[in-house]
Amino acid sequence: MGNTPFRPEAAAVSQTADGGVFVSNDPRDIGWVKENVPCQHACPAGTNVPSYIRSIVEGRYGESYEVNREANVLPGVLGRICSRTCEDACRHGWPGNGDPVAICNLKRVAADLKNVGHRITESLFAPTGKRIAIVGAGPAGVAAAHDLSLFGHDVVIYEREERPGGMLRYGIPEFRLPRAILDTELHNALRLGVHLRTGVEVGNEPGQIRVSQLLADYDAVLLATGCTAALPIPLRDEWEKREPTEVPGIEYGLDFLVAMHRGIKKTVGRRVAVIGAGFTALDCARVAVRLGGAEVTIHIRTAEEYIPVTQEEIFEAKREGVRIKGLRSPMKFVLDAEGKVAGIEFAQNRLGGWREKGRRLAIPIEGSEFIEPCDTVIIAIGQQTMHDFTDTPLQLDRWKNARLGDNGMTSQPGVFAAGDYVSGASTVVQSVGHGRHMARRIDAWLLGRERLRQVVRIEPVAAPLRERADDFIPRQHMPTAALGKRVKSMAREVEAGFDEATAQEEAKRCYLCNLRYQIDVDRCIYCRACIEVAPRNCIKLVGGVEIDADGAYGKLIETKEWNKIGAIWIDNNQCIRCGACYNACPVKCISISRCELTEVEA
Amino acid sequence: MATVRHHIVIGSGVAGNQAAETLRERDPESRVTIITLSRLPFFNRYDLPRVFRGERDWRNFIIYPAEYYRKNRIALRRATRVVNVDSTAQTLTLEHKEILHFDSLLVASGAGPYLPEELSEFRPLLHGFGAFRDAIEVADALPKNGHAILLGGDTIGLDLARTLLDIGHRVTLVAGPYTFWPHEVAAEDRSKYVAALERMGIVVVDANQRGCLTTIEKGAKGLSARRVVFGDGSDISGDVVMPFFGVAPSLDFMLGSGVDIERGLLVSPDLRTTNPNIYAAGDVCQIWTDREHRYCFYHGWKNVRAMGELAARNITGANEPWVPTQDESLQLTKDGKIHSPFWEYQ
Repeated sequence: MGNTPFRPEAAAVSQTADGGVFVSNDPRDIGWVKENVPCQHACPAGTNVPSYIRSIVEGRYGESYEVNREANVLPGVLGRICSRTCEDACRHGWPGNGDPVAICNLKRVAADLKNVGHRITESLFAPTGKRIAIVGAGPAGVAAAHDLSLFGHDVVIYEREERPGGMLRYGIPEFRLPRAILDTELHNALRLGVHLRTGVEVGNEPGQIRVSQLLADYDAVLLATGCTAALPIPLRDEWEKREPTEVPGIEYGLDFLVAMHRGIKKTVGRRVAVIGAGFTALDCARVAVRLGGAEVTIHIRTAEEYIPVTQEEIFEAKREGVRIKGLRSPMKFVLDAEGKVAGIEFAQNRLGGWREKGRRLAIPIEGSEFIEPCDTVIIAIGQQTMHDFTDTPLQLDRWKNARLGDNGMTSQPGVFAAGDYVSGASTVVQSVGHGRHMARRIDAWLLGRERLRQVVRIEPVAAPLRERADDFIPRQHMPTAALGKRVKSMAREVEAGFDEATAQEEAKRCYLCNLRYQIDVDRCIYCRACIEVAPRNCIKLVGGVEIDADGAYGKLIETKEWNKIGAIWIDNNQCIRCGACYNACPVKCISISRCELTEVEA
Repeated sequence: MATVRHHIVIGSGVAGNQAAETLRERDPESRVTIITLSRLPFFNRYDLPRVFRGERDWRNFIIYPAEYYRKNRIALRRATRVVNVDSTAQTLTLEHKEILHFDSLLVASGAGPYLPEELSEFRPLLHGFGAFRDAIEVADALPKNGHAILLGGDTIGLDLARTLLDIGHRVTLVAGPYTFWPHEVAAEDRSKYVAALERMGIVVVDANQRGCLTTIEKGAKGLSARRVVFGDGSDISGDVVMPFFGVAPSLDFMLGSGVDIERGLLVSPDLRTTNPNIYAAGDVCQIWTDREHRYCFYHGWKNVRAMGELAARNITGANEPWVPTQDESLQLTKDGKIHSPFWEYQ
């Protein structure tokens, strides 16, 4: 029996190698990948998740690391602290399929288990002679600098702190992100000729470098200064106009973390109240536990179900003794006779409608006020971007972030912006993804053309790569450091990482959604053997197919009447790539092809 | 022709069964279905301490025989897991992929024992007490004149302690913030109630004074089966270690349903959730109280049964508010013993 390679019919397909491997820029193929590989589509950096997980199954950890690195230059970092939008989208987590694959933990596996002295692969363009200044060495700035250096440009990063990394170094506690990992990956990202100037502040004060000067000295400027100014907390009465942090015992969350990571000794009282619902609030609470807080409570406006952090982080915080109390809005602070904070007056909330990004509204109830005693308050309700460092006026959007044109440029010619400086407070993976995206925009503007284009690489696969038994492997548990030891140390990493055996088990759970199963209807004898063995309603008798606006195949029009059957079709959206149909087919009319988004020179 | 309404009740405890009974009375033509994860029909959880007195036949704990459900035309679906509720489509999905449509849904799935996250790694070494099978396993693990170590010490645990002491076992309580849960004991009264526990024969250990519980491990060969170790290096050995830290609502299947949840399902005083066709009753729900301006849990057999009845009445058009039926204060009897109203049932 010969395996029938899948051969797209579109004219925009070209053969690039022997063995039936093709690249296609047919929008239907690109659309197929986006629709059928939900993890990659959900990843802000566009990481090819099935490919790197498959490499882990095959024991090729270095290759897995390199697949990650094509999309994100910090796999070891994001393998620890990613917000995991991919796991929310994972097909294995869809109703009836079980739990999502531990994609993030497997990213860490690639970083941790690759060989010592592993060779990094970089694909370099020739030098262009163009010079680019980047302001900010956070995740967006570093990702952009790396990709711009691959494009052959000369890049200089200006960073006001003494060390690079931005919020990765100064915002995220070491027990979640070991600094040795961060240092190694930053070094790898910046060593292709990127000139890093730390301790240099860009701004309008004497001794600082002005943005207008950078614009004069460089061919392009990328602003990636992040989003670090605390959002003012809305309060009542005299607290409407009073700055809370003037009160001893009250501090903003990010300022608290940054100060600690700059080496300033921080202390907390016995009863610590953290106000906020994001990763920063959780980090502050866990740091407070390690600083000796005996009763550490996170107060949130809505409920645990709606806060934008991972369940794993919530669980670990609770294990360390952090309590979460919901449905409350702070109204004012209560001070003792010495003027120190002694409590917070909250109002009870009820849940309202929905805000943007899937967040819930909370509505305070008049007359429901109550007081929670505390002696330290950490306010971590979010951050906003500041623009006072730039002397070149930029148009802002309604959220007071820099407005970007279609080419990624701000209203100031030659000035681009990336990461949280553009989007407001987001996640590390979003910043990395945006930094990478902006590198392409800057390169296209400097050279007057796109140098990379997205295509789909289509490769025949000889046989199913999974076994049906793999579908029943439970999600593997991340081992963690013993509770007693971890809360005594700010640096001891909480998550221990998978060992090789655990990694293999978890990796086998991935459906490998980038495999496309298709039936050659000309060879099918309609015996229904594949339908009989299919574990899901994934093989359908269809009378026709709707065509989407972009020309991609859309919804299948199913029929059970034999005289109306036009084809037998594998619904790849329902398919869990178990291979049962392939193995059952008596005439071997089912083919498998691996479809992967990749970039080629335009 | 009018269509027959389908009332589905999730949970076969006090609230669920009371609700089903009331639904049948008030809407005789309707379909009533109870779905429960339990393999046993409705049994009396409050009676589980009887297992330690030698009562090991599950049939003697059953409150309603199968005939009761047949007679009342209530479909009882046991060992059935609900995995998803679609409040918009008014459907629920069972684990075996069956989809049921409902006209009204009452969530009365109750609550399971809460195990604090910091103790989760010791789960394999702990004995539960939430189900009939758990009680049998504890009874089997306790030798004659055995030693039970209770962690936390909520009123469910203290109720069990009374029985264990009565039949000759030793009981050590590792006390903490959950001792006496769900009663809220004022700090100044706490020592009085702890002294009452000690008069009952319970050895009370303050976890904080010993530097908090750090480890639970198997006992050495020839010694007791379990060893609890504290931060100051001291330890206690016993035959079983049982957590009693109150309960946590069982509502995983409601996540993403579109119904508001904080710790429990949030309901208005008429026990209606944020979806007009979905109600909740019992330990799974938090009820809005105008007097306190907050959502409150109410526990205890009598409260829960009353909630089940009220929810069913409101599903069938009564529109009545919830009024707690039970005094919730912890009491000291004249002879100095502790008494909790939550130990009263029926």
